[in-house]
Amino acid sequence: MKFEVPQLHGAYMLREMAVSAIRTSKLSKDYGVGRGLFDLDLEVASQEVFGYLGPNGAGKTTTIRLLMGMIKPSAGAAYVFGLDCRRDYVEVKRKVGYLPGDMPQFGSLRGKEVVAYLGGMRGGADPKAVRSIAERFDLDLNRRFREYSSGNKRKLGILLAFMHRPDLLILDEPTNGLDPLNQQEFYDLLRETRDGGATVFLSSHVLSEVEHVCDRVGIVRAGKLVRVARLDELRAAGETSLEQIFLSYYSDTDQHQKALPG
Amino acid sequence: MTAVRLSLRLGRWGLLGFSILAFAASLIQAVGFYQIAGHTAASRAAFAQSMSQVASQLTFILPPPTGLNTVGGYVEWRSFGGLAILFAVWALVSGSGAARGDEERGVVEAILATGLTPSRWLASRVIGYALTSPVGALAAGLGLVAGVAGGGESISLAPVLEICVALAALGLSCYSLTVLIAQLTGARVATAAAGVVLLALFLVNRLSQTFTWLASWRWISPFHYYDLNQPLAPGGAFDGRATLTLLGIAMVGAALAGMVFETRDIGAPLVRWPSRDRPAGYEPSRSPLWRIPVLRGLYERRAGLATWAAGLAAVGVLFVYLTRAVIQPLLSIPSLSHFFGGVVGGQLYTTFLGYIWLTFAQLLFAAFAISQVARWSAEDSDGRLEMVLSTPRSRAAIVVERAIALALGAALVASVSGVAVAVAAHYQAMDVSSERLAEGTLLLVPFVLVFAAAGAVLAAWNPRAAVGLLGGLAFASYLVNELGPLFKWPTWIQDLSAFKLYGTPLSTGIDRWGLVIMIAIILVGFGASILLMERRDVGA
Repeated sequence: MKFEVPQLHGAYMLREMAVSAIRTSKLSKDYGVGRGLFDLDLEVASQEVFGYLGPNGAGKTTTIRLLMGMIKPSAGAAYVFGLDCRRDYVEVKRKVGYLPGDMPQFGSLRGKEVVAYLGGMRGGADPKAVRSIAERFDLDLNRRFREYSSGNKRKLGILLAFMHRPDLLILDEPTNGLDPLNQQEFYDLLRETRDGGATVFLSSHVLSEVEHVCDRVGIVRAGKLVRVARLDELRAAGETSLEQIFLSYYSDTDQHQKALPG
Repeated sequence: MTAVRLSLRLGRWGLLGFSILAFAASLIQAVGFYQIAGHTAASRAAFAQSMSQVASQLTFILPPPTGLNTVGGYVEWRSFGGLAILFAVWALVSGSGAARGDEERGVVEAILATGLTPSRWLASRVIGYALTSPVGALAAGLGLVAGVAGGGESISLAPVLEICVALAALGLSCYSLTVLIAQLTGARVATAAAGVVLLALFLVNRLSQTFTWLASWRWISPFHYYDLNQPLAPGGAFDGRATLTLLGIAMVGAALAGMVFETRDIGAPLVRWPSRDRPAGYEPSRSPLWRIPVLRGLYERRAGLATWAAGLAAVGVLFVYLTRAVIQPLLSIPSLSHFFGGVVGGQLYTTFLGYIWLTFAQLLFAAFAISQVARWSAEDSDGRLEMVLSTPRSRAAIVVERAIALALGAALVASVSGVAVAVAAHYQAMDVSSERLAEGTLLLVPFVLVFAAAGAVLAAWNPRAAVGLLGGLAFASYLVNELGPLFKWPTWIQDLSAFKLYGTPLSTGIDRWGLVIMIAIILVGFGASILLMERRDVGA
């Protein structure tokens, strides 16, 4: 039996890691003077839409960059489908579609060239998926990137994140700059993607958006995760609106505590 | 007043960097004069004679010298002659940044929203530069004074101040011309367009020393009016009218730029071509090149590479004509023809072309390497690297792909310019060794990669500072190559210079030891860059 316990424990861990799309353990990024992300323990199940809520500077973007292996954790670890985000970052990115908070600049490249360029780095973009999403958002890929409005740049970012039909979407404030019609289109796309078997992790400070599309929410404040809950549980328990829950964490707090960036 | 203060603040790093360079350039040349020319009249006369031979080979880049047996004459030619180029570059970078760079970043829009008119904002930028340019020029003067004091002599301050005034006026006129041209073009091509115009004005003045048909056009060049000032050389004088002309060019250029800025839309050039009405598209580009590593990088910057190749080919052809114009009269003198035959083994054209063309080409290729490193840094700061790293590509693969794409791009640019030089030499009936020319041209590829490797390390370590540091490194490398033989520095110090490692392939063949060192630097540099990239945070 003594021999079997660690075996069972290992098997349990493996099963958990296989089930979890995202798992973090004491994940920290310390930028000094109290800024950063601290001891984040979080688990996001497969096929879940998880909303990551927090005000500006709470640590949302830092969490996302840690998951994407862009930055090195000061402590702890993060896993995507059981893969270490730092060590196995190439494998992780095969499974992930990523939308950064700020769109990068592609200058004079045309939209179709940006898609082909980043699609080529993935071994080729799926033309059907590209066409479908571009038509859906009415995004003209023949135009140059620098001619795009901020909303069109965001649409291109969404297209780049979704075009290879990833298992996990990590989206940093995805509807920033989108008009209400395109926001609605995006929510529909998100639901379809989830129904197709993908997992979504999206950060936002738009509470209505999170209420609209997410299964579960996590609230982060000053670099610390203060609450994780299912939206339907909150409603069933007769809790007040998400806005009131959210505000309750900030009304008495150190809003001025800084966490960088995002 | 607030706008002028803001202009000064925006230009403070340029002022610091170019002032240090100007000070160092004058100080080194003044100290070098005493080291090499000595302190006796005889040794200085011998020095002046040898330097005048060097000057005859550098007429395409430096003005004709006067009084090379004096520290004033030597520094005026060697340092202040070269500082004209440095100040033009400063004016170009600063002026295009002020006119269009800040506009692209949204700074101008925010300022105009406060109620300031476009012309007043532009005037504040010109005034800001008019206040900083003399500081940089005075730094050059201070370097001269310090160097002369170090040599145990003294120099009258009046002529030093006069040359500084002329240099500052030249910088200001170049700045105003840059600001004016930047108003006429699109933001993306403003620096290139202004750079081409300033280069053309520079070459009109310099080449008119060799090609007499250009002399009648000299008056259009601000560099001509700067050259008319020779207050440091014995018998020379400060030309007040020429300096006033420079200031006049500056005022007219700034006034016209202000008028154009009032007329055009923010973010748009004065004249906008109607855009073609093309149907909307929803498909990705079908070019297979986007899928092939390395080729996609070359394909993406195809326009830039074509511009570099065409520009260098044109400059190469120009140098062939220059070589012919300089050498042919010498060969028509039988005694000199016999002398040159003995000195350079009959390969006079090859040797001279190698000296002037490949020396200049090294500077241009170093600039090419710096421009590519600037691109890597920009990819980092504008979020493109983060987006690329969101694809399943390792950081090491990205560094390697960048290096190979740069090597192939440099090979392409070098090959086109080499072929252009060979064809032009053939049509000019010049006896140039095609084998040596091919070797010298291809050796420019590892030369570029040496700078790129250093740039890759800097871009991985601190992308924001990479371009400035690499520019400083290139300047130091050039100085080591120039000053090392004069001051008899140890070989290992001279070998730190990429310019020294490149050698003189057209006249003496490839320096194999230099090539080995260059390859070692390239491998170590890109290896270190990979290690740094693997460890650093991106996007933070």
